[in-house]
Amino acid sequence: MTSEPGADPATGTPLSVRGVSRRFGSVQALANVDFTLEAGEIHALVGENGAGKSTLAKIVAGSIRSDSGSMSLFGQPYRPTSRREGAAAGVAHVRQQLSLVRGLTVAQNLQLGRPGAPAIFNAASARAEVERWSDEFSLSVPAETLVDDMPLAVRQQAEILIAVAWGARLLILDEPSSALGPLETKALIALCHRLRSEGTPILYISHRLPELAELADRLTVLRAGRVVVEGADVRAADLREVATLMIGDVSLLEVNRPEIERGTTRLTVTDLSVSSTQEIGCHGLNFEVAGGEILGVVGIAGNGQDSLAKALTGQAKLASGHVVVDGEDISGSARQAIAAGVAHLHEDRSTGLAAAFTVADNATARHVRSGRFTRFGVRLADKIARHAGELVERFQVRPPDPAARASSLSGGNQQKLMAARELEKNPTVLVAHGPTKGLDPEAAKAMRDRCFAAAQAGGAVVVISADLDEVSDLAHRVVVLYRGRVTDAFPIEDMTSERLGAAMAGLTETMEAASG
Amino acid sequence: MSQLLEATFWSATVAGGLRLATPLIYASIGETFAQRAGVLNLGLEGYMIIGALTSLYVADPTAAPLGFLVGGLAGMGLALIMVLLSIRLFANQVVVGFGLTILGIGTTGYIFHVTTDVGGRDRQVSLPSEIDIPLLSDIPWLGDAVFGHSWYTWLSLGLVLVAGFVASRTIFGLEVKAVGEDPDAAAAKGVDVLRIRTQATLISGFLGGLGGAALMLGSVGRFQPYLTANRGFIALIVIIMASWSIWGAAVGAFVFGFFEALGFNLNNVFVDVPIEGLNTIPFFVALVILTVSARWARMPRGLGENYVPTV
Ligand SMILES: Nc1ncnc2c1ncn2[C@@H]1O[C@H](COP(=O)(O)OP(=O)(O)OP(=O)(O)O)[C@@H](O)[C@H]1O
Ligand SMILES: [Mg+2]
Repeated sequence: MTSEPGADPATGTPLSVRGVSRRFGSVQALANVDFTLEAGEIHALVGENGAGKSTLAKIVAGSIRSDSGSMSLFGQPYRPTSRREGAAAGVAHVRQQLSLVRGLTVAQNLQLGRPGAPAIFNAASARAEVERWSDEFSLSVPAETLVDDMPLAVRQQAEILIAVAWGARLLILDEPSSALGPLETKALIALCHRLRSEGTPILYISHRLPELAELADRLTVLRAGRVVVEGADVRAADLREVATLMIGDVSLLEVNRPEIERGTTRLTVTDLSVSSTQEIGCHGLNFEVAGGEILGVVGIAGNGQDSLAKALTGQAKLASGHVVVDGEDISGSARQAIAAGVAHLHEDRSTGLAAAFTVADNATARHVRSGRFTRFGVRLADKIARHAGELVERFQVRPPDPAARASSLSGGNQQKLMAARELEKNPTVLVAHGPTKGLDPEAAKAMRDRCFAAAQAGGAVVVISADLDEVSDLAHRVVVLYRGRVTDAFPIEDMTSERLGAAMAGLTETMEAASG
Repeated sequence: MSQLLEATFWSATVAGGLRLATPLIYASIGETFAQRAGVLNLGLEGYMIIGALTSLYVADPTAAPLGFLVGGLAGMGLALIMVLLSIRLFANQVVVGFGLTILGIGTTGYIFHVTTDVGGRDRQVSLPSEIDIPLLSDIPWLGDAVFGHSWYTWLSLGLVLVAGFVASRTIFGLEVKAVGEDPDAAAAKGVDVLRIRTQATLISGFLGGLGGAALMLGSVGRFQPYLTANRGFIALIVIIMASWSIWGAAVGAFVFGFFEALGFNLNNVFVDVPIEGLNTIPFFVALVILTVSARWARMPRGLGENYVPTV
């Protein structure tokens, strides 16, 4: 990198992208994109699923290369050929698919790939650094826990913490709040404000309108790889104007809850306890969900949600109790759960999908044991591809290519693919863990409608989410988890933020105590 | 029978165990690096045997330390094929690894055959003397068991310390673990997955070669076809037993050596039991340990899977 005469590295425009294009096979992910990140601003990058947001972020970070176009960083020409170079130039990147290395602790992840880290790993100082940043920004990131043993929301915070700790000159956040609850999101917003005031510009990608309105100074909209709105000022705009810029059609944000007839009980959970190394587990849960009913499960991440989701889908060994679907005990057997028609939208797409396999294999994975796509044990590839093609069309997975690898899909389209696999048939029980996570407003609406449709068809739906809006849009009834126990339960009409806040913080008496 | 109650029987067994464990220690430490990095390096037997023959042919006219070093380099040369075919060209690791083992055994046997005409008696090195550490070697029992070993053994123990430090306390060690556990995430963090896997595999080749050289120069002194007699595969078992820990690999290698020595020594006590029977003792012990350790052993998640970078 040569420095231009007269260009002061501290005062040049933080990031300027000119005419950048990138193609993947037949998909033009980015076409001639111009983008400018100014000093001291938080710049929101929005657009529908597959628009090219993450691709642009990865190009700026150095993880992938553009086919054409140029960039400059703080006034200097910038042509990173690897992520390492991007990091060394001061670009921090929190990826949509997190890049924390499993099998290592957060403290170890902090030092891995860090520009200028000494060759000897000093465990004590790495731990102290994680703890200091975690305290400073009111995050709750443990230093010495294995990444594998942390709930998704904590992993997301750890990733943000590492980006900040590396002392970035420029920060890219790609849907950093998708797994966060309201408290954690608040901490994230405060963190962004503070970094901005300290002079770190932020490129912020999100589909969540309220936090964009609170955070962003300017907004750029991508559609099918092209910039359609460039750097619109949103400081003075209200939520509606921002929404109009973002999606054009504001009516997509409205939720029309259909009338759903309540049937008989389909899911019965009695005395359910799960012990887990990953989180608190759950202890003595009792509830029922009727056909046509949508039950919301809320709580701060790590209070038993993962264990509950696993228990309901037969993926956890129960310490006690039973999970009964239509009179059949499915406790501890994922196979029985599938046979009983239990569908599961996993919280974490990277676990919920087989990333290295094709779209077709993923879409039809529930049939692996059914024999529908095999003859004498041999897979019928044509039949699989045809069926997957139909599913992908129905669930609007883009691009609709059954032969593509699942990992090549954009985040939101991976979410749709998971739904295509799980909701092909009307489920008896749907366990939806953050169903609209990462979806653009239109796709989110479609996903909500699918949840309603599952209930309308007589299914029992359990929506587990850190996103309270998602729960209040969908659920008829809410239970609150705290430390693996239900601290409150009420119909959705009775939901107030005070009542929720108290129950989520464990300030409400436990249900057992309340009911005597 | 009464010999079993004598302290000298056991001190001799411990000492013999450490001597027999020495080649295994080199080989299993190196292989642990490769496997922690996600490379299932089944060419280990090949690296060892090529190291053994090379070390003999270099040490015979020159000096043992030089032979030892060149033996390591020979193993590393064979591991380079693994790097080229599997890591860089994405060929199946198991196939290439087995191929290298067969190649190593075959070529060393052939070279030995065509370069000696008196069954190898013209190609011999004298075994090294034991290094006595003054005072310590004179401690009763313990002195016999633990001290008075050749420098190959002492070096292997030093290697354990260094390797343990590198694996757990350096960024390189973290990178090795990262590319073996979660190569995609490691690459996203800017770690050069293929480079780290290459380095780990070459380390494994070098230490495998040293293991073979230590066997040759430290305890056998002359070559015979298939000299290593499955020691490379035993090292692979040791690594699983150790759950991919460096310290564990060192302990596991010693346990193997100890029971092997026990078999030999018991042969003098129970003369009626055929030696072949006693020689199976270490394998029974390994089976038991493997069964028990399977409860907590966790293999690197990316072990055996090639990493194809996306650009
Ligand atoms: N490695 C890849 N191989 C093939 N196609 C890819 C690859 N990465 C991205 N694409 C394609 O490029 C397009 C843009 O993807 P990108 O991930 O940038 O979308 P996005 O705007 O971040 O969407 P989302 O909101 O769903 O996260 C998509 O059509 C995607 O399928
Ligand atoms: Mg994206």
